[in-house]
Amino acid sequence: MKKQLTLKPQIRNEQELSRRTILRGAGVAMALPWLESIPVWGAPAAAPPGADAFPKRFAALFMACGINSHHWWAKGSGESMDLGQTLEPLAPLKHKLNYISGLFNKAATGVGIHPGQTGNILSGAQLKKGAELRGGISMDQLLANTIGQDTVQPSLVLGCEQPTTGYHETNFSMAYSSHISWQNETSPVPMEVYPALAFDSLFDNRGSRRNKSVLDRVREEAASLSRQVSKNDQAKLDEYLASVREVEKRVVRMRGDQDKATEHAKDKGQPLATMPRPDNGLPEDIREHMRLMCDIVALAFQTDKTRVASLLLCRDISGLFYPFLDARKAHHSASHDDLSDEYERISRYYVSQLAYLAQRLDSMPEGDGTVLDHSCLVYLSNMWSGSKHDSTKLPLLQMGGLGGTIETGRVLDYLEAGDENRKLCSLYLSIMDRMGVKLERFADADTPLAGF
Amino acid sequence: MFALAVCSGMGLAQEEAPLETQFRQQVLPLVEENCLACHSSVEPEGKLDLTRFKSASDVAAAHSVWQAVLERLEAKEMPPEDAERQPTAQARAAAIAWIRAFRKFDAARNASDPGIVPARRLSNAEYNNTIRDLTGVDIRPAKDFPVDPANEAGFDNSGESLAMSPALANKYVEAARFVAEHLVLKPRGISFAPHPAQTDTDRDKYCVRRIVDFYQRQPTDYVAYFQAAWRYRHRTALGQPAARLEDVAREAGVSPKYLRTVWSALNDERFELGPMGKLQAMWQVLPKPTQPVTVGTAHPASRDAEVERPGCLEMRDFVVILRRKLEPPVKGLKVQGIHEGSQCFVLWKNRQYAANRRTYNKDALQIERPEQPAEDKQLAVPADETERAKFEESFARFAEVFPDAFYISERGRDYVGKPRELQEKGRLLSAGFHSMMGYFRDDGPLYDMVLDDEQQVELDELWQELDFIANAPARQHIGFLWFERTDSRYLRDPEFDFSRPEHSDCTSEEKITRLVAVYLAKAIRNGASDVAIEAIERHFRDISSRIRWVEQARVAAEPTHLAALVDFAERAFRRPLTETERGDFLSFYRSLRSDPTITHEEAIQDVLVSILLSPRFCYRMDLVMPAGGGQRALDDFELASRLSYFLWASMPDAELLACAKRGELRQPAVLLAQARRMMRDEKIRGLALEFGGNWLEFRRFDQHNSVDRERFPTFTNELREAMFEEPARFFVDLAHRDGSVLDFLYAKHTFVNGVLAEHYDVGDITQSRDQWSRIEDATSVGRGGLLPMAAFLTQNAPGLRTSPVKRGYWVARRLLGERIPAPPPNVPELPADEAKLELSLRETLAQHRDHASCRSCHERFDSLGLVFEGYGPIGERREHDLAGRPVDTAATFPGGSEGAGIDGLRRYLKEHREQDFLDNLCRKLLSYALGRTLLPSDDGTVSQMRERLTEDGHRFGTLVETIVVSPQFLTKRATGPIAKDRTP
Repeated sequence: MKKQLTLKPQIRNEQELSRRTILRGAGVAMALPWLESIPVWGAPAAAPPGADAFPKRFAALFMACGINSHHWWAKGSGESMDLGQTLEPLAPLKHKLNYISGLFNKAATGVGIHPGQTGNILSGAQLKKGAELRGGISMDQLLANTIGQDTVQPSLVLGCEQPTTGYHETNFSMAYSSHISWQNETSPVPMEVYPALAFDSLFDNRGSRRNKSVLDRVREEAASLSRQVSKNDQAKLDEYLASVREVEKRVVRMRGDQDKATEHAKDKGQPLATMPRPDNGLPEDIREHMRLMCDIVALAFQTDKTRVASLLLCRDISGLFYPFLDARKAHHSASHDDLSDEYERISRYYVSQLAYLAQRLDSMPEGDGTVLDHSCLVYLSNMWSGSKHDSTKLPLLQMGGLGGTIETGRVLDYLEAGDENRKLCSLYLSIMDRMGVKLERFADADTPLAGF
Repeated sequence: MFALAVCSGMGLAQEEAPLETQFRQQVLPLVEENCLACHSSVEPEGKLDLTRFKSASDVAAAHSVWQAVLERLEAKEMPPEDAERQPTAQARAAAIAWIRAFRKFDAARNASDPGIVPARRLSNAEYNNTIRDLTGVDIRPAKDFPVDPANEAGFDNSGESLAMSPALANKYVEAARFVAEHLVLKPRGISFAPHPAQTDTDRDKYCVRRIVDFYQRQPTDYVAYFQAAWRYRHRTALGQPAARLEDVAREAGVSPKYLRTVWSALNDERFELGPMGKLQAMWQVLPKPTQPVTVGTAHPASRDAEVERPGCLEMRDFVVILRRKLEPPVKGLKVQGIHEGSQCFVLWKNRQYAANRRTYNKDALQIERPEQPAEDKQLAVPADETERAKFEESFARFAEVFPDAFYISERGRDYVGKPRELQEKGRLLSAGFHSMMGYFRDDGPLYDMVLDDEQQVELDELWQELDFIANAPARQHIGFLWFERTDSRYLRDPEFDFSRPEHSDCTSEEKITRLVAVYLAKAIRNGASDVAIEAIERHFRDISSRIRWVEQARVAAEPTHLAALVDFAERAFRRPLTETERGDFLSFYRSLRSDPTITHEEAIQDVLVSILLSPRFCYRMDLVMPAGGGQRALDDFELASRLSYFLWASMPDAELLACAKRGELRQPAVLLAQARRMMRDEKIRGLALEFGGNWLEFRRFDQHNSVDRERFPTFTNELREAMFEEPARFFVDLAHRDGSVLDFLYAKHTFVNGVLAEHYDVGDITQSRDQWSRIEDATSVGRGGLLPMAAFLTQNAPGLRTSPVKRGYWVARRLLGERIPAPPPNVPELPADEAKLELSLRETLAQHRDHASCRSCHERFDSLGLVFEGYGPIGERREHDLAGRPVDTAATFPGGSEGAGIDGLRRYLKEHREQDFLDNLCRKLLSYALGRTLLPSDDGTVSQMRERLTEDGHRFGTLVETIVVSPQFLTKRATGPIAKDRTP
C-alpha cells in the first residue's frame, strides 16, 4: 500500500517539529499547484474547487528599529480609513489592511535593547545571552513544518542585509539581530540574501535538480547490485529500487506539474506573473534588492512554490543607507532620531515595500479574488521608538483576508486591553489556527487574539 | 549432491516412514474428530485452519503452528473444557509424542541450517546508531521515521518485517540531507557538527566550542602541579622510587612540561626574598607522607588522606591572589575621529595584554620607607636599590613561571574602560568588539608552557579551522566596514564610498589596500601617533593576510574533502572499496561540478547524500547472497557487520574492521575475543535497548503516556526517563561484568539516579538527580532485579489502577515465554479507576475466573500479577489500594504452590519455572542474533546454549559466545528451505 503523504493534523511537540524545518530546501517535497488535481503519490484527487481549494499563505516582513510614531496611525475603517503619512503608500489597499496597535512580545521587554528585542519576534521565546544561542522555533517555521510539506520549499527565508554575529553591548549575540526565522531553539534558518539564489531554489528547482542527480546514481547502483544477488535478496533490493524510482519520478513530475500549472493558468486567462532571473551577487542598490525579494515572494505565492515566507528587509542595528531618501545616516543611527522627518521618510519607504508586495499579490487573480485575499501578510518592527528602544508596544500591519478568515479594513487597538490580552503570540496563535496549525499555546500565549 | 543426500539420509530414512505413517494413523484422526469442528477452513476459530495439514511434510512447513498445537494439547486447554468431545488420554499423549518426535526429526535433518536471512534495510535504531558511529555525532536522523514493525519473535531487526516504501524512501532522502547539513569542511578533511552547520552563527558555535573545550581540558590548576611536585619529591616514601617526573605528571593528569617548570622554580634555584622566597618557604614546610603507600595506589583518588593538599591549596591561593595584582595595565589608543572600539585599537590592546602575560607591573610594587609603610605587604619592596633589585628579580621570576592567565576564553568590551569583573561575560573567544563579530587568540602561556608538540599542532589547527570553516576574517572585515559607518562615523566621508560592506569585493586585496591608504591618511590628518599608525597598518595587514589564507586554503582543501569522503564511504559501506568504486565517487563529484551553479560544498554534500542513500549503507549487504545461491560461510567483513549489528545494533568499529582486514576474524579465538571486548564496550547498550527493550517491552517506555499526571504528579518526564533507564542500565551492567542471567530474576541490586531513588524511597542516598549508582541491597526497599522495576509495573498498569492481569501476563509471556492466546473480543472491561471498584481487583478477577472460558488462560498468569499488588499504578510501593483497601499480595501459583509478594514470586520461579525462563531467554537472544524467527533446526543451538549456561554459572557471555560460533551465525544460504525437495 502506498501511503499518502499526509499533513500532521496537530503539532505534538517541538522536537518533532524541528526536524522538518531542517529539511527545508531539500526540495524533495511535492508541489501540487492548486490549479491541478492530478493524483500524486497514490493520493486521491485534490479537493473540489471552493474556497478551500486555494492555499493559504503567510509572509512576515520585518523592519528594524521602529518607526516615526508621529506619523504612524490609522483611524476609521474600510474605504474611509484615514492613514498617517507613513502609511500613505497603503492607501490604495486600505480595505485589505488591518492596522493593529498595542501588541507586545513579553520576552522582548526588560531584557535589554536590540538583539533581545528581535531574535524572538516570531517566536516569543526567552533568549539567552552570551555565546550559546537559545531561543525558540519561530511561528513561520511551525507553519512550514506543517503546511510546507506540499510545496517545492516548505518556506522562503529571505533577507536584504547579511547576517552578523558579534556581540551587542547587552551581551546578546548579534545573531539574534540578524535572524527572525529559527528552526529550533538553537539554530536559525539559513537566510537567503542573494535574489538569484532564492530565485533558483524556487523556479529552477535547484533542490530537486540536485536530488535528481543523487537519486539517478543511487538507482543505478541499486539496480546493478540487484542483478548480482540471489532471488530472496533481489526481492528486497528491488523493493528499495522501486521506492527510490518512485521518489525520483515525483521529483521529475514536480517540474512537469509546474509547467502544467502555468499552461492551465494561461488557458483560464489568468497569466502567471513572470520575472527574469536576477543577476548573481548582491544588488548594490537596496531598492533593487528589496523589490526583487518582494517579487520572488509574490511569484512563489502565486505559483504555490511555497506558502510561508519571512523577509528581513533590514536587520536590527542595520547599516543600510538611503541616499535616495536624502538621508545621510545609516538606518540604526537614523532611528535614534526617530521623530525626525528623515526617519519618517525611511519608515515610509519600508511601508512602501509592503505596499508593493501587497499590490503585486492583489494583481494576481485567483478564483473570485486575488492571491492577496488568500494570504496573510504581517509587517512589523521590533520597537515602537528607536530613540527610546521601546518595545512595550509594536508597530504592526496586517494585510490580506487569508481565504476569508480575516476581516480587513479595520483599526484594532489593544493597548488598553491589559497585558494578558495584547500578546503578539496570541496574534500568531490566531493566524496559525486559521492555517490549520492548531496549538494550545505558543510561547506566552494560550488564547488567540480576541477580536482579530 | 546425491552422495550427500544418501549419506545424511541413511539414518533418517528409517525414521521418516514411520513418522509419516504415525501421522496418518494417530494424529490426523485426532484432529479430524476433535479439532476441525472449529478449526476448519471456513471462519476458523483463532484463525487456525487445521484442514490444510494432510501429511507430515505439511507440518514441516509450519512448525510454529504445531508448536502452538502442542502447547495447547499439553496444557489440556484444547479442546476446551466445554467441548462436546475430548480425546482419550492415550490419544492425546500419542499426538503430543508425535509432534515432539517429528520436530526433533526435522531439526536433526536440517541441523545448522543458517535459514533464509534476506538483505534488509537498517532498522531505525540501527540507522541512528550507525550514523552516530559514522559521523561521531548522535543526531538521530531516523527519529521521525515510522515505527519499525516487529517480527514474530518480537524484534524489529529482521527482513521479514523491515519493508521499504516510497514514502519511507523519501524519508531516507530527507534523513541523508539532514546528515549533510551537519557536514563541516575543514582545511584537511571533513567532520560533522552536533548541530546543523549551515549558517554563520552555527559555524561559529561549532568552531568556538571546540577551542574552548580544548582549553578546558587542559590542566591549569596550580594545586595539581604543587601536589604532583610534592609526590615527586616524596616518590621513595610513596613507594615509587624509580618514578620520573614525567611518570608522576602523567599519573596526576598534569602537563609534564609545566610540572618540570614548576619543579624547577620550587627547587632548582633559591630565593630568600619576594614572592618566590615566600612560595619556596611554603613548599618546604609541606608535611611529609604519613604512611608509606604501596605501588599502584599512589593515585590521589585512592590515597586515604592527601596530607599535602591543604598546604598546596594555600600555595595556589598565594600565587593567584598575588598574580592578579601584578598584571600590567594597558591604556587604549586614541585618535580623533576613530572610535575607541575600532578593530585596529581593540586588537592592539589585546596584543599588549597577550604579550605581557609573563611579565609584571613594576609600578605595582610599593617601596617601603619608615615614614610610609607599604599598604600591601605582599607588594612591599625595600627602598635600598641593591636590595630592591633582589626583590624585583624574585617578582620577575614569579611572573614568568606563573602567567597572569594561561589563556583567555572569554572577553568583554575592555575598551569601554570598566574593570574586568564588570565586563560582559560569556563572549567566548570574542575579540571584545562592539557589535562586530571577531575573535582573538590569547593563549601563549598555555601553548608555550603546558602543551606538548602534538597538542600545539592540534590547537593551531583548531584556530585555523575557525577562520576556515566560519570564514571569520572576511566576516570580521565586513563588520568593520559596517561599524565604521554606523557606530563610528569614520568612514562616512565620500572618499570611503568605494568600500561598502554590501560590495561583493569589499574584502579583496585591492580594496583593502586602497582602504588602508585613505584610512591612514585621515588618521594622520587627525594627528595619530606612531603607535596608532602602526596599529592601523598592522590590523589591515593581518586581516588581509588571514582573508587571503582562507581563500587559498579553501581551494587547496577541495581534494582532501573528496578523499575524506571516499574514506567515509568505505566505513559507511562497512567493507573495503575497490579502486573502481573509489574512482566512481570522484567521477560523480566531477559530473556534479560540471554544472557551474553547483559549488564545491554542495557537490560534496550531494556525494555524501548519495553514499547514505546507497543500499550498501542503508541495507545489511552482509546478509546478501550472490546470485547463483548455495550456502557459504560469511567472509570476514560480513562477519564483522553481523557481529556488530548483533551486539551493538550498529556498524563495526575500527578494531573489528582491522581484524577483518587482517583476515583473522573467522578464527574462533579471535572472534570470541572480539565478542567479549564488544560486550564490555559502552555500545552494548545497543543490545540492551534493541534486544532487551523489545524482549521485555520497555523499548518505548520513554514515551509512555498513560499515566494520569494529575493523580500522580511525581510522574514527571524526568522520572519516566529514569524508569526507562533502569532496566537498560541493569542489562548493560550485566553484560559488562558478564554476570549471571539469573540476576535478571533474583538480583538484590539495581540502579537508580536521584529521581528514581526518591521514587523508590531509597533514603539516605545523596546523589544528584541525573547521576546513576548501584544500590547493593535494593530488596530492603522492595526492589532488585527486573521484577519490581517501576518501568514494567507502570507500563502494565492502565493509569488509575493496577492490572494484575497485565503484570502477570508480562511475567508469563515476556519472562517465561508462554504463548497465551488473545482474549476473546467480548470480555467486559474493568473500570478504569481502582477507587471506583466495588470489590477489590483481586476479588473481581476471581469472579472473572469463574467463567470456564476465561479460567484456562487466567489461571496461568493472574497469580503472577497479584503478587505485585504492593506496587501502585506507577510502581510505587503501597499498603492500600486507591480505594483505601489494604492490599493483599498472596497468591496460589499455577501448580498449586503458594506465596506472597515479590519474594513469593521469586521463590516460585526458582523452584518451578527457572528452566522456562532460561529456555525463553536463549530462544529470544538467538532469534535476535540471527535476525529471523527460529526454526526447529535451531533447537540444537538452543540446547547448547542451555547446557553451557548450566556448566558455566549462567554467565551472560556464554550465550553470546555460543551464538557467535554457531553455524547459523557463521554461514548463510540463498534459496528456499534446505530440505525442500526431500519428502519425509
